[in-house]
Amino acid sequence: MSDNAESPTETQKDDPSIQHAATEHTGASDEKKKIDVLLKAVGDAPIMKTKKWSVERGRTVQSLAQFISRFLKLEASEQLFIYVNQSFAPSPDQEVGVLFECFGSDGKLVLHYCKSQAWG
Amino acid sequence: MMAAERNTVSCYLDEKTFRLCCQRFLQHSETIQDGWSWEQIKGTDEGFMKKTLLIPVKSSILNKQHECSIQDENMETDDIQANVEDETAGVQAVCEIHAVLRYEYHVLYSFSYQIPVLYFRASTLDGRPLSLEEVWSNVHPNYRQRLQQGPWDTLTQQEHPLLGQPFFMLHPCRTEEFMKPALDLAQAENKRVNYIVTWLSVVGPVVRLDVPLSYSTEVSAPD
Repeated sequence: MSDNAESPTETQKDDPSIQHAATEHTGASDEKKKIDVLLKAVGDAPIMKTKKWSVERGRTVQSLAQFISRFLKLEASEQLFIYVNQSFAPSPDQEVGVLFECFGSDGKLVLHYCKSQAWG
Repeated sequence: MMAAERNTVSCYLDEKTFRLCCQRFLQHSETIQDGWSWEQIKGTDEGFMKKTLLIPVKSSILNKQHECSIQDENMETDDIQANVEDETAGVQAVCEIHAVLRYEYHVLYSFSYQIPVLYFRASTLDGRPLSLEEVWSNVHPNYRQRLQQGPWDTLTQQEHPLLGQPFFMLHPCRTEEFMKPALDLAQAENKRVNYIVTWLSVVGPVVRLDVPLSYSTEVSAPD
């Protein structure tokens, strides 16, 4: 993902490190440099039309959160929260590849997300 | 949206469960040497969890007037990376010198909110307390923009309820917004969560306190 791109209409085409995972591919694509992530909405969070993504292992949670926020066109005042293992928030600096190693199953990492108003 | 019925779980935490969650949290901290301890207030049965961290930061987050002393402190270390583009330009303009800050975190139980609250204080290594502005600069970028939308009741300076000293505090009023989804999710899977683990995993990183992943799998909820 280009960290410079601020366009709210940025699509996954602009972001080679986060790609729509084709259904035939497993986590073994691209010499295992990417892992499959399944995004699930909780609470009032909008549901993503595309739920399954191939993400580079080195991508951070923060970077993924930014991508999801832009994809969902969240307001600047809305905060996205991401949970792994249902109820644990990984550090924003954590790499998704590490999360996959710890919590991945059936070749994918399930991440839940929700949004809330800004704190304060 | 989902039309499925949800049994909502209370986001409140009673004090006894707070202590039990902390006990289990602390056991794991001990196992992985994560540095947490329980501090009991003498003569009472009140206490809190405490951890101190040394955090390297760019000295640019510190007020300019203090930068000189930080630079002198670090002159002898190997961490200095001078990237001076113009020799005649002021060093402060382009140098990226790292400073080390001392953050002390306290996890307290709030009787009025019936949830845990994160207090912390921050200082430079020579003991100078950080200003609110400096602490703000050090909020994790992932949260900084949204927090700044309404800073006054989010990150505030408060007197520590048990120690009576000035601390910073992350206001607990929005706790439900991020706890509720996690608690509901767990309940949907018939799992119980350790409230403190879930709660701290969300609030900690905001102020540079990371909770290692192993807490998520190794710390159980109290019965």
